[in-house]
Amino acid sequence: MDFFSKAARKSPWLYRINAGSCNGCDVELATTACIPRYDVERLGCQYCGSPKHADIVLITGPLTARVKDKVLRVYNEIPDPKVTVAVGICPISGGVFRESYAIEGPIDRYLPVDVNVPGCPPRPQAIIEGIAKAIEIWAKRA
Amino acid sequence: MAFLKILFDNLREGPATEAFPFGEAATPDAYRGKVTFDETNCVGCNMCEHVCAGGAIRFSEKEDGLHFLIWHNTCISCGLCAHYCPTKAIKLSNDWHLSHLQEEKYEQVDHAVVPYRHCTSCGERLQPGGPMLHQLAFKGTNPRSQRLMNMCPDCRRKASYSGEAL
Ligand code: SF4
Ligand code: SF4
Ligand code: SF4
Repeated sequence: MDFFSKAARKSPWLYRINAGSCNGCDVELATTACIPRYDVERLGCQYCGSPKHADIVLITGPLTARVKDKVLRVYNEIPDPKVTVAVGICPISGGVFRESYAIEGPIDRYLPVDVNVPGCPPRPQAIIEGIAKAIEIWAKRA
Repeated sequence: MAFLKILFDNLREGPATEAFPFGEAATPDAYRGKVTFDETNCVGCNMCEHVCAGGAIRFSEKEDGLHFLIWHNTCISCGLCAHYCPTKAIKLSNDWHLSHLQEEKYEQVDHAVVPYRHCTSCGERLQPGGPMLHQLAFKGTNPRSQRLMNMCPDCRRKASYSGEAL
């Protein structure tokens, strides 16, 4: 087991939750993984499809009232320890949707956030910079 | 056989992947990143606050001047503030290194004080106005325009009428 936890420290798996985002940030997240020009997997991480496998969770969107319970349910499926990254100004402050009746965010009202990556959307390099910060935290926490 | 061409191109031009985060990332000069503010040229028209789509800008009137505040965590880098600013005191730099830890969330703020001016003749408080406004309003400067610029409307009218400002 020791071998596995040592390896896990070096290769966290990323998981993406869309909390009502306009899709701008999600496109940039896909870009960081799918386009060789950015290639986030050089950092030793990769996207996974199940919250049960995730180590670092990237959340986009302002947490709309409609999606709130579902987001929290998926988030609680992710095993501890985990590192949470808020991508885009939507989860950080609400952004252009701030103070709307349909918004429950900012997301740190409900979840413990570790790293913020502002921008609307942030460019792929900025997301990679945020993920690099998250990996540092992950190495200490895992 | 198309792969041979790709292989040859790759050998000649090197990897297509950007070096970042292990090296610098190319950023266009016109990239819309972190907002910068120059209090010496701001004329306090509040237009940037009015048009700000993200509600990131706040002005408040205090004793010593207009207090400018921007929270970068709700700025969408739309560039409206820079577009509508008459003196280009507010601009968007191409700095995109904005990611930060949660503890620093509310420290992503820039604050500046735009001092009021005072009428050189009667001492009344005037809206701020920098050299750039002078350029815009008078299409160049001369001693007369410079003198009139720093007066309140009443004193300016009197000075113009009496001819003392000529
Ligand atoms: S931060 Fe901007 S681009 Fe990202 S989800 Fe919100 S509105 Fe869309
Ligand atoms: S770029 Fe847009 S959102 Fe940011 S401060 Fe300027 S007007 Fe506001
Ligand atoms: S920064 Fe520009 S738009 Fe904003 S108050 Fe000053 S002069 Fe007006």
